[in-house]
Amino acid sequence: MSALELYSPTDLNDALRFMEHGDRSVAVIASGTDLLPRMRKRQVAPSVLLDISSLTEDLRYIRRSDGTVRLGALTTVADLLESPMFDDRLSMVREAASLFGAPQVRNVATVGGNVCSASSSEDLIPVFLALEAEAKLVSAQGARSVPLKDFIVGKRETALRPSEILTEVSFIVPRGHNWTAYEKLGRRNMLIIAMVNEALCLILEDDLRTIRSARLALNRVSGKIPALAARTNAFLQGKKVSDGTIAEAQKVLASELSLTSDFRGSGAYRTELALTYLKRLMERCCLKAGGTS
Amino acid sequence: MTKRTITLNVNGTERPVQVDSPDRLIDVLRDQLSLKSVKEGCSTGDCGICAILVDGKLVNCCLMLAAQCDGRRVTTLEGLLEDPTMKRMQGSFVANNAAQCGFCTPAMLMASWDLARHSPEPSSEEIKIAISGILCRCTGYYQIIDSVHEGCKGKGR
Amino acid sequence: MSEQVSQLLDSLKAKAERGELLYIGENVVRVDSLEKVLGSPVYTADLLPKGTVYAKLFHSSVPHGRIKEMELGAARSHPGVLGVLTSKDIPGLNESSAVLPDRQLFADPVVRSTGDILGAVVAETMSGAADASAKVRVEYSRLPAIFDPLEALRQDALKIHEKGNIARQMRIRKGDVEEGFAKSDLVLEKTYRTQFQDAVPLEPEVGFAIPEDGGVRIVGSMQSPHHTQAAVAKVLRLPPEKVRVIQAVTGGAFGPKSDETPYDVCSTAALAAVKFRRPVYCGMDREDSMVMHTKRHPFVISHKTGVSKEGMLLADESKIVGDTGAYASLGVFVIVRATFHTVGAYEVPNVKADSYLVYTNNTYSGSLRGFGGPQSIFAIESQMEELARKLGMDPLEFRLRNMLVPGKKNATSAVMDASCGLSQCVEKVVTSSGYREKAPRYRNQTGDVRRGLGIALLMHGNSLGPEGNDYGAVRIQVLSDGTVSVGSGLTEYGTGAISGLMQVASSVLGVPLSRFKLERPDTSKHRESGPTVASRVVVIGGMASKIAAEKLRSRLIPVAAQMLRADPKDVAIADGLAFDRRDPSVRVKWDDIVAEAYRVGLSLSEDGFFIAPAAPWDQEVGQGTPYVQYTWGALVVEVEVDMATGYYRVMGAHAAYDVGKAVNPGGVLGQIYGGTVQGLGYAMMEELVHKDGAVLNPNLGDYYIPTSMDIPAEFKAYIVEVPGPLGPFGAKIIAEPPIVLPGPAVRNAVLNATGVSVDDLPVTSEKVLMGMKPESAARTS
Repeated sequence: MSALELYSPTDLNDALRFMEHGDRSVAVIASGTDLLPRMRKRQVAPSVLLDISSLTEDLRYIRRSDGTVRLGALTTVADLLESPMFDDRLSMVREAASLFGAPQVRNVATVGGNVCSASSSEDLIPVFLALEAEAKLVSAQGARSVPLKDFIVGKRETALRPSEILTEVSFIVPRGHNWTAYEKLGRRNMLIIAMVNEALCLILEDDLRTIRSARLALNRVSGKIPALAARTNAFLQGKKVSDGTIAEAQKVLASELSLTSDFRGSGAYRTELALTYLKRLMERCCLKAGGTS
Repeated sequence: MTKRTITLNVNGTERPVQVDSPDRLIDVLRDQLSLKSVKEGCSTGDCGICAILVDGKLVNCCLMLAAQCDGRRVTTLEGLLEDPTMKRMQGSFVANNAAQCGFCTPAMLMASWDLARHSPEPSSEEIKIAISGILCRCTGYYQIIDSVHEGCKGKGR
Repeated sequence: MSEQVSQLLDSLKAKAERGELLYIGENVVRVDSLEKVLGSPVYTADLLPKGTVYAKLFHSSVPHGRIKEMELGAARSHPGVLGVLTSKDIPGLNESSAVLPDRQLFADPVVRSTGDILGAVVAETMSGAADASAKVRVEYSRLPAIFDPLEALRQDALKIHEKGNIARQMRIRKGDVEEGFAKSDLVLEKTYRTQFQDAVPLEPEVGFAIPEDGGVRIVGSMQSPHHTQAAVAKVLRLPPEKVRVIQAVTGGAFGPKSDETPYDVCSTAALAAVKFRRPVYCGMDREDSMVMHTKRHPFVISHKTGVSKEGMLLADESKIVGDTGAYASLGVFVIVRATFHTVGAYEVPNVKADSYLVYTNNTYSGSLRGFGGPQSIFAIESQMEELARKLGMDPLEFRLRNMLVPGKKNATSAVMDASCGLSQCVEKVVTSSGYREKAPRYRNQTGDVRRGLGIALLMHGNSLGPEGNDYGAVRIQVLSDGTVSVGSGLTEYGTGAISGLMQVASSVLGVPLSRFKLERPDTSKHRESGPTVASRVVVIGGMASKIAAEKLRSRLIPVAAQMLRADPKDVAIADGLAFDRRDPSVRVKWDDIVAEAYRVGLSLSEDGFFIAPAAPWDQEVGQGTPYVQYTWGALVVEVEVDMATGYYRVMGAHAAYDVGKAVNPGGVLGQIYGGTVQGLGYAMMEELVHKDGAVLNPNLGDYYIPTSMDIPAEFKAYIVEVPGPLGPFGAKIIAEPPIVLPGPAVRNAVLNATGVSVDDLPVTSEKVLMGMKPESAARTS
């Protein structure tokens, strides 16, 4: 790490200008809670860090307008936990935030950092995937929006171009009868890299039984990549909620998941958990959305 | 590697320090400013033994680059030794045997002090959450939790 | 007579009538508490002198091989590097081993594990040394490696050390197991396994050395300054007097800081200090520590146990295999304790045990709180539970029938005497946990969430026992201002034991602990007192302290008597005041007595030395009295299991320990809480994972110890006091015992809740769930 340089931009435009040349040896750093340990273990070795942590005026906000929630990239996990925005139907955001790391980590870890790591160890990603969030990517040339599911392209790989900075994560608040829920399991109760973390946003039709849209997302679906369980979600769409539907959905999920084993847990166990959580999440959401299991 | 001068507000005093880009806040606090109450237990942000307050928030300073802290307000245990709430908390820790090897004690005190100012009478659950990011291997946490209960009470005594 | 003195006299009389001792059994403020809550700079890394440079150790990247070539040029020319130390830089012996001479300081030419240290880079900054050490290139010619201790035991296995793979063997032959089995109505054979545990002292192993006086002064984080001194002296080829070692305030130890790692760290610092004529700090970070320091031995323990249908244990045959990794370290004694505890707290008339301490190419194992006890007791307590179930008997009832009580004999045929407080401990936890009401209720649950109770009993032999002479030395000096200064080679690292030892002196002298001062253990000032291990400080050190204090008291009483114009036998000292029992209105202050003693030229420095009685036992058959006394205990835990995921929580823990006499009850409770939680970590979540000899999770993000969110919501701890024959005022050890029982108690609670027998620690949610699904083809990892 001794040859490292750090650049602190004066504002967002300054940061974007710095990124203009698209130099791949530049890494954006906010809290550093993901990046710094990896640098220490020599898993990555950027030569320049672009420190955006002080750009809070531009990048740290939680806003809601026209049915869309917008989170600035520097919104911390503690901000999410404390915000009244995530009571009620969006409670899974608060749930995930409350189980995230520990107080010191929540105080500094950012939404942008979480999403850009594209890692199965980052708890917020399944939550944002289930909310069908979009990532706003800005460069000196302009801005574009990429759905989160397309933004994460591989294990720790995103669609971010070398000249871009992620400035915002946004999602449309689901309308109608809907609820969200979140489940997580690791080797102890807090401060863990979860074996499974799973989020569901369930939207029901007015009959409170038919599924208008199910968005189930997990920290790992295939290999170590956070993703929506697309086949399971497709299966659930339009079905009536029942024990039978859930059992069928579990079968679809089982075939969709391709989970690997590591010292934290076997692929078989993680799959079992994912199936159990599917059932639980469905039941919790249905109960709250006014439906019956 | 460029050295830069940053100014930290440390325990109420403006301190200009020279830092290299890779210097961590913990290194600057311990080595340049001799604030030895800040300990290092794991170097990966997983144990909380380095927990201090930056701009009033509890953070792990082993995972903060000093260069990112220009203009920020840093509070360590040394800066709270005359604070009445901290003194009560320290007395409670001593009376309740909350410090065994003592290595997690400064971090535990910082987290407890932070809790005490937000929650005058926290529940056991709230206390456990407040210290959930700080590992202790000696006490099993029980006597620390008792200490925090007692340390939060009796304000103005 | 003044109010204060009359109150004192009354309370003294009352205590005497109740047979109580002054200051003992009281919660006192530990002498070293203040500096900890003030965040004072008292730990090793806080004390570095100006101009200190830094040494970073580098280690092998292969589990077994011969070094062909070490390319150090790139490291040497890295900016800020003063040099790179390897075996070629050692003037004395390239040795760093605790007991058997099987380990080098810098491995050369053979490396036997990825934890083998090859050398150190010395640089102006720690980060510079770390960056440079990443540039060291080593070429090995690899050798085949063994990672399974059962494989290493085989006759045809590759030899990891010249003398073969068995570092030590032990046996117990009590009675005739074949006869016992023949009489048994039920014989059960099962195998249990335990994992590598890391002690995780929050302060890793660190030390610094300053060249001085033709030698070195070393300050470090360690359990045994004299052993460290001896080790460094050998490496540097210096007479021990030229190596001064001072133990700084130490941030936790739990065992590994009594093994080779402090020698490694301090020898490296000393070598560099002498070579570069600078103060040198050698500090391990967490990853270094978790790769290079000693772990808890994983064990494979097989029991074949015979019982009668009435539930009496008739015979037990065990095969005990401990994986000591590349080097034996303190494993040679761990295997002894494990063997003697093979049938735990029960009387078994016929016992046969064969134990093996085995080398493999995993990183090495050594001391860790419990020292073989956790492994052995896990096996026997699990076996007891399985037997009870097979017999259709209540697990508590089965234990009560067989447990040790005064008059019964343990595995070594030692007869338990009146100091055995096991039944009192069991009674306490059974009552506290509501076991008798709850256990039947929990027997036939059908829901998605189920509860279970698990019980485990403890016998824990005190002190070094069969490991060698158990002695301690404490020096007490009364300074001219009345301060009582206590110094010893025994070390404090969080247990509060040194404070306890001082409380003993405080009680004998009649002077409150607030007047006491603890000297930092310093080889140039304090006698060798043996290692601070085996929880022996309060018992052995306490006795030495008592002896020194009694000697001092016998000098000071005549002085006080003269000042009071009283008969020495009528003089009492309490709370720093001496008075004539027959006329308490006449009194004199401690400070004045001391001043007078100084005036007349009395020496006020006394050494107390105590050596525990010999613990004779027959090596051939493992019979005799290897321990002079025992600590007893019992633990009940209640778990709640989510049947669909296998996830469980420990809802309540009820623990009772017979500690003989609780010198500082608050301190004893601290050990019970802390040890139990460390034991819960071992039971539920801790596992240092090796793959092909490399440690996969040498950091606290991937190796999990309990946080405040993992502790049982309810924890009731009870102190039982049945005085023992060895320690001061009947005290028994407490520091290690509480870590032993959570493993089996949790395992048994989960079994009772779910029907799943998890026979290898830790009891993870995966093992619980997968145990419920026998049709699941997946092998749990």
